[in-house]
Amino acid sequence: MSLQLNAQITLNETDSSKVVQLNEVVVNGNKKTDQQHLVNFFRSNQSSTLEEIMERVPELSLMRRGAYGMEASIRSFSSSQVNVLVDGMRIHGACTDRMDPATIYIEPLNLDNLQVQTAGKGFLSGSSVGGTINMKIAEPDFNTAHPFSGTISSGYQTAAKSFYESAKLNYAKERWAFRASATYRKSSNYRSGGGEVIPFSQYEKINYSLSAKFQQNKYTYYKADIIADDGWNIGYPALPMDVGYATAKIASLSVHHQQASKKISQWQLKIYANNIRHYMDDTHRPNIAMHMDMPGYSKTAGFYGEAEMMLNKKQRLLFRADASSTYLKASMTMYETGQLPMYMLTWPDNRKIQNGISVSWLYQVDSTTKLQLNSRADYILSNLVSQEAKDQISILGYANANRNDLLKNISASVTKDFRPGIKANINLSYAERMASASELYGFYLFNSNDNYDYVGNPKLKCEYAFAADASVSYNWNKNRIQLNYFYSKIFNYITGIKEPSFSTMTIGANGVKTFINIPFGIMTGVEASVLLKPAPSVDFVSTLRYTYANDDQHQPLPLIAPLKNVTSVRYQPNRFSVQLETEAAATQTRINIKSGEDETPGYFLLNARLGYNTTLLNNNFSIQTGVENIFDKKYHEHLDWGNIPRPGRNIYLQLKISF
Amino acid sequence: MKKLTLLFSCSIITALVLISSCTKNNDINIDPVKGLTKLTEGYVAGAAAKVEIYTKETTITSGYTKFYFALYDSVSGKRIDDAHIHLAPLMDMGTMKHAAPFENPASEEAVNHLFTGSVTFVMSSMGGSWTVTTTVHNHSNGKEGSFTFPVTVNEPTKSRQKSFTALHDGNKYFISLIEPSSPKVGINDMEIAVYKKVSMMSWPADSSLSVVLTPEMPSMGHGSPNNVNPVHIGNGHYKGKVNFTMTGLWRLNLDFTSGGAVADSTQYFDVEF
Repeated sequence: MSLQLNAQITLNETDSSKVVQLNEVVVNGNKKTDQQHLVNFFRSNQSSTLEEIMERVPELSLMRRGAYGMEASIRSFSSSQVNVLVDGMRIHGACTDRMDPATIYIEPLNLDNLQVQTAGKGFLSGSSVGGTINMKIAEPDFNTAHPFSGTISSGYQTAAKSFYESAKLNYAKERWAFRASATYRKSSNYRSGGGEVIPFSQYEKINYSLSAKFQQNKYTYYKADIIADDGWNIGYPALPMDVGYATAKIASLSVHHQQASKKISQWQLKIYANNIRHYMDDTHRPNIAMHMDMPGYSKTAGFYGEAEMMLNKKQRLLFRADASSTYLKASMTMYETGQLPMYMLTWPDNRKIQNGISVSWLYQVDSTTKLQLNSRADYILSNLVSQEAKDQISILGYANANRNDLLKNISASVTKDFRPGIKANINLSYAERMASASELYGFYLFNSNDNYDYVGNPKLKCEYAFAADASVSYNWNKNRIQLNYFYSKIFNYITGIKEPSFSTMTIGANGVKTFINIPFGIMTGVEASVLLKPAPSVDFVSTLRYTYANDDQHQPLPLIAPLKNVTSVRYQPNRFSVQLETEAAATQTRINIKSGEDETPGYFLLNARLGYNTTLLNNNFSIQTGVENIFDKKYHEHLDWGNIPRPGRNIYLQLKISF
Repeated sequence: MKKLTLLFSCSIITALVLISSCTKNNDINIDPVKGLTKLTEGYVAGAAAKVEIYTKETTITSGYTKFYFALYDSVSGKRIDDAHIHLAPLMDMGTMKHAAPFENPASEEAVNHLFTGSVTFVMSSMGGSWTVTTTVHNHSNGKEGSFTFPVTVNEPTKSRQKSFTALHDGNKYFISLIEPSSPKVGINDMEIAVYKKVSMMSWPADSSLSVVLTPEMPSMGHGSPNNVNPVHIGNGHYKGKVNFTMTGLWRLNLDFTSGGAVADSTQYFDVEF
């Protein structure tokens, strides 16, 4: 994890309240959002993975199963309760064990910004009770001094003996601009705090991206994007299997129009498709009872359109319409000498067709008060698409596993400026979410965290949540303090319960669980952030988050991140910069024993970073180095599966040339 | 809009025509012995009939075996669809002879020109020679005669036929696996036939037992959910459901009880697909 020293954190002086944030996020994307300050601060080192950046965003926490493929959750809402979009596109991992969340297919080098939409705005691009993470991918740049520009970087980290190489090239001429990038990472088994090497934590991957932009006129441009990601030999120490290869191909075509004077001030339309293949096996594991392959496929195609309409000087409407079709299939084959292979579908092939429309009304009541109403409806068809799949699900007692769901979401938000610099926002919302493919159709999916096999339940009811969210921020000079509070009561909360009459599929598992709706779950918590600039060359950033979650029996919900604080101080008088950073998490004692959770001890980490920037022959050179986890603390986070320790002391060095 | 409506109605009409023509085809062109293998044929002396005998399997193995009989007038070659067929299987082991369980065709009316019966070969031809005597009462001319044909019964790779001496009454029971005959991942019909050996020549069907079915994958140690225990449906046949969650080798464990007393709890059939 490496954070750069030379990047400026620019405190956004413009309005960064959530009301405007939605507008910016949904339609503009090029203005800065709340989290954007933090993302920029933490992204500055190009060798950080996207996961490493996300971990610093107070709303986000990551579920870890290995050094790679961590799964993002917002405010400890589970991944099924959260939308993860790539530039507005839906993308579904092809792994039944969720080893491949969409975030692994995007490199920070391709990332323009990360948008985290919570509470009342979390459902605008897809019905959701937990919110939306949208990874806005970088666009070709017209504003370059020379037709050709780019960066080359190279880095090394000691903890995993890992290499990072990347190159980015931008070409702009007249009305055309192109951007190409490639990133290569190779990582060996990492060393945890105290010196233990974690077996099966290696990985290797290449990521390519290519974008072309054509500016038709002042108002309209077209864009084509392709991202290809190939990973292989990816170890998952917390799981009984590794990944032989994982490939993703993501492509889109879009048209964007912006003309502030017109009634429809801006609109965009995008069509997209993506295809993921994910191949799990255990060929490298010692002492396995039986060799096993688990390939998975995911294919999605869809479109979305967004538009902003100015009703008058004070009122705007935002529209979004989208539709997508996702096909999933995963299987498992086991081999026993002298017998026919044992084959079954772990995701009986299924298709989800989603059609949604959302409307937001933004009303600037007076110079200090803003009102926003959001609504969205989704109509979703879920089907098993082959006889093989239907036959298999019929075993569980479901003769018909097809379903149609109408999901409704609505929210209202008021933002008020009090004294100069003080702003408050209150948000109330109602949202629904559909059960995931695994929750509906999963067939003996092994969860190594609680050591149970899970079978799906096509008759699950949709979750619906009532949520309230309040925030206060205070901006003065170049400083900012913000406090958020959220409360969410999720009815029909989906969770797994033991199914004693079923026998386990996985050798050594404790039993079988099936998904059911429990009456409700409650999630509540706070996030706080402080950004200070006591002197022109000094930046101070500190974030804090806490989530408290209970089920209807007053038992803690599983996989809830404990109190955590990340604090950074950066001193950058000139070309040279230095940064000290602490990460601290409290002990998580609120655990769900039924899910096999145990207490996770708190920890305190100290990181130090140095940077130097210079210009040579018109090229910009930057060198970054640092030590992370200086005390070589052996620790893991509460959301990490299998209590596998995280990396220990890590020294990194990175060079970057910009031309 | 008009065009769309027109297009829509056209496609519906086309679909209907296609569906109806398919149904017609099914009625006309069905070959009664399609997919069956002819085992033998011969003249039923005295009944003025020719008989053709078919089985589903290409090789006959020990266990429950269905026979399909097609009868023709030996002179005109016309099909005979009204006849009474009686079977008599016999194992000749040289020093001794015994019969086997069998089922005569249930009706005197052929179904789609075929009469269906069964013989449960309780052993292979290793120990002697099997013959089945088919007695035909030809209702078209009132004559009766019989035809005896040999059957070579092989050992199957996975046994479909087991026997046990019951703990509760000391009788010898023979159990045969009938379904699943083409197993798949999903819900499968489960059917067994149970016969009791009363004497060398008498093997009646038995309906007195209760069966508990427990499928299991021996190499994995797991079972499957929501199986239905076979219950007696008539003529010694017990029907239930067996669920296979994956392909591979499955063991169908069968526990037999009679009025609460254990008859046998060691029997199983292996199914691999």
